[in-house]
Amino acid sequence: MDINRLEELLFIAAVISYLVCSGFYIWYLISRNEKVVRLATLVLVLALVAHTLALGLRWYSSGHAPMSDLYESLSLFGWGIVLFFLIAQRFYPVQAAGALVVPTAFLITSIAGVFYQGPEPLVPALQSYWLWIHVTIAMLSYGLFALSFGAGFIYIVQEYLLKKHYKNVMYTFLILFAALGLVLGFWAGSWWAEPAKVMDQTTQIVSNVYSATDYLKILGGGIIGLAIGLVLGYFAGKGASKPGFAKRLPSLDVLDEVSYRGIAFGFPLLTIGIITGAIWADQAWGRWWGWDPKETWSLITWLFYGAYLHTRLTMGWRGRHSAIIAVIGLIVVLFTYLGVNLFLSGLHSYAAPT
Amino acid sequence: MSTGKNEALTQKLESESNFFGRSASDFAIMIITAGTMLVLDIVLSVAYYRSNSAPDLRWLLALLDIVVILTFYGAFGGRVKRMLLSMKLALTMLFVILLLAIIGTILPQGQDVAASGWTTNPLYGFYSRIGLFDVYYSRWFLALLYLLGFNLGFCIIDRLPTTFRRALRPRTDVKEIFIRKCPAAATIEGAGDHGAEMAKQVLSKHRYHLHEGESHTVLAEKGRWTGLASIAFHLSFIFIGLGAILAGTIGFDERLEVPDGLSMPVPHTDLRVTNHGFDMQTVPVKEGDRVVGYRPSVYSSDLELFQDDESLARKTITVNDPLRYASSNSLLTLLISNKVNLHQASYYQTSRGYVSVLQVTYKPGKSLIYFGFGLMMVGICALYFPHRRIWVKVDASGELLMGGRSNRSKVTFQRDFDRIVMDLRHRLVKQEA
Repeated sequence: MDINRLEELLFIAAVISYLVCSGFYIWYLISRNEKVVRLATLVLVLALVAHTLALGLRWYSSGHAPMSDLYESLSLFGWGIVLFFLIAQRFYPVQAAGALVVPTAFLITSIAGVFYQGPEPLVPALQSYWLWIHVTIAMLSYGLFALSFGAGFIYIVQEYLLKKHYKNVMYTFLILFAALGLVLGFWAGSWWAEPAKVMDQTTQIVSNVYSATDYLKILGGGIIGLAIGLVLGYFAGKGASKPGFAKRLPSLDVLDEVSYRGIAFGFPLLTIGIITGAIWADQAWGRWWGWDPKETWSLITWLFYGAYLHTRLTMGWRGRHSAIIAVIGLIVVLFTYLGVNLFLSGLHSYAAPT
Repeated sequence: MSTGKNEALTQKLESESNFFGRSASDFAIMIITAGTMLVLDIVLSVAYYRSNSAPDLRWLLALLDIVVILTFYGAFGGRVKRMLLSMKLALTMLFVILLLAIIGTILPQGQDVAASGWTTNPLYGFYSRIGLFDVYYSRWFLALLYLLGFNLGFCIIDRLPTTFRRALRPRTDVKEIFIRKCPAAATIEGAGDHGAEMAKQVLSKHRYHLHEGESHTVLAEKGRWTGLASIAFHLSFIFIGLGAILAGTIGFDERLEVPDGLSMPVPHTDLRVTNHGFDMQTVPVKEGDRVVGYRPSVYSSDLELFQDDESLARKTITVNDPLRYASSNSLLTLLISNKVNLHQASYYQTSRGYVSVLQVTYKPGKSLIYFGFGLMMVGICALYFPHRRIWVKVDASGELLMGGRSNRSKVTFQRDFDRIVMDLRHRLVKQEA
């Protein structure tokens, strides 16, 4: 295993740990259980160690401080947030803020992950100030859609809890965790597979070429992810299926409002993200829109949330219907964000050519 | 024939024959219009599909298709206006377009088909004929976009009068029962006219604008112009669509290869472009510590534009930094951009040196599109300011009635309303004491 590969793996481990920690901190916020926060801190410290090692290896292999490209600077940004949060938590009782800070760190490091490439300059197409603007806005909108998804999901669970349909609570958790496990498993599997990367010399579009073994590895990753998801989902569902749990969750009205707010603010950001993308595309290639897979999927996401807003604002859909759309919405967002880069090719495939 | 006779004839026809809920004359006019359109559509289609050199008329054919379908639908008793105003149609269109867009990302599109394995597939011929390998430019996809566009346009026109009426004429003449039945309502007993005065002060303090109506009804409101935000947002699509049609029909988008040191004519114009020098910097591509190749980090072309040997512009272009040249700086430039753009698309190497690959574009309608972008951003941000209204009235028994409505973020409004009522109660109690 070479240094860059090791750095990549440490970085991925850190990012996944941040995601897990986000869950713990949110759990703490709900349960106020001191044991959970101790566990969360431990995982966060380990994640920070992995992240520090990844940055150190990057520095060593590139020969300059890790802040030259987007991956490096965003990774450093996320690292700083976690470090300062841990220091603050050591001296002040700010554990509850972890539910906000750690997901943010996760978000920023995942953005960094999208731009992961070996220690070298950006490809010419990405050398523009629009990169920062476009990516930041798009990521903020994704973050808000994730928030809306979270509130929507809790809404569904809370409604079942209040009606004492504990079986449905269990099913909801199982389906969610299985889906998340599957997606993350596929993602991990595609890293594991290391497909050959082919760059078209004239268009500079990099596409992944998967062999049969690569597909098996991706499938394997998916199955392992699914299994882990089902196990975690079972325990989460069991933990939540208690009569008293509903009292710790926010009320249905608040959840509905938060879920709506997430989309209400995410949608304009996505709109502006698409517009800035179009302006940038005009600057780089002389066209606003070219039906590249990422562009098309961002439009699909946009149409989807546009439909959500219309069902809600003009047709008066509320509660469970809206919550279900918000939950499905994140699947569309995840496909736009990760799936397109994994399974489809195009100008947004930032993989480094070989 | 006198007018009276004509009217009588029409009435007779109406009473005698009723074609799909329409009078015979209306029916005849609609059928004739639809038939003419259909013939035009068919003639143009035949001409377009027979000829190899015809310009891309799909945008026009798709438009005709939709108009023909709508007129026939109307002639046979369909309520076109109601259909075009319906939210169900809009949502259905959104989902159909969404599904078609997904198909387009799964199947290879355009020139990618040749490289994929699809050409040997037995379904290739069928899929190709129904346009699945060119979804986004296929006639029916464009037709669906037009239908959505019509839907949007009709809804905007339909909403305009109401929006302006609401903004210009605040509704102060409401009945007591209306105030009592508001989603957010409160009554303060025995407050009387004095309480109403106090309520006005409190509402102004909370930054509400007051309108006094007849019979001592006060309307306090916030964001009365926000209804226009939705109109602006939806209108922006019309501008962007028009701009795109302009750019796609009058404009051009061509690939131009200019070898290092040579000069080439710019397509569709009387300009020439000279490549004074192609320059490239590379970085090694490593696999571990081993260098496996080199890839460009920056490349640029030093271009000069000529018209009849007169130099017009010179610039070194890179991928994100094109050369834009406007032939004139008239008002027209502002209305529809008339710039010719030279973009650095890529390059390739031959035995005689580098060849710079340029993308030459001319996009009239750019200003319309950018105006649309601006309108969309402003509109969508303004959409989040709610229109809040609170009515205050004292009834016959001296009870102070307050009722409030908001068109969005109702939970926040309820909180705001409760705070205002509490503030008012506090002040009244304080004054009594």
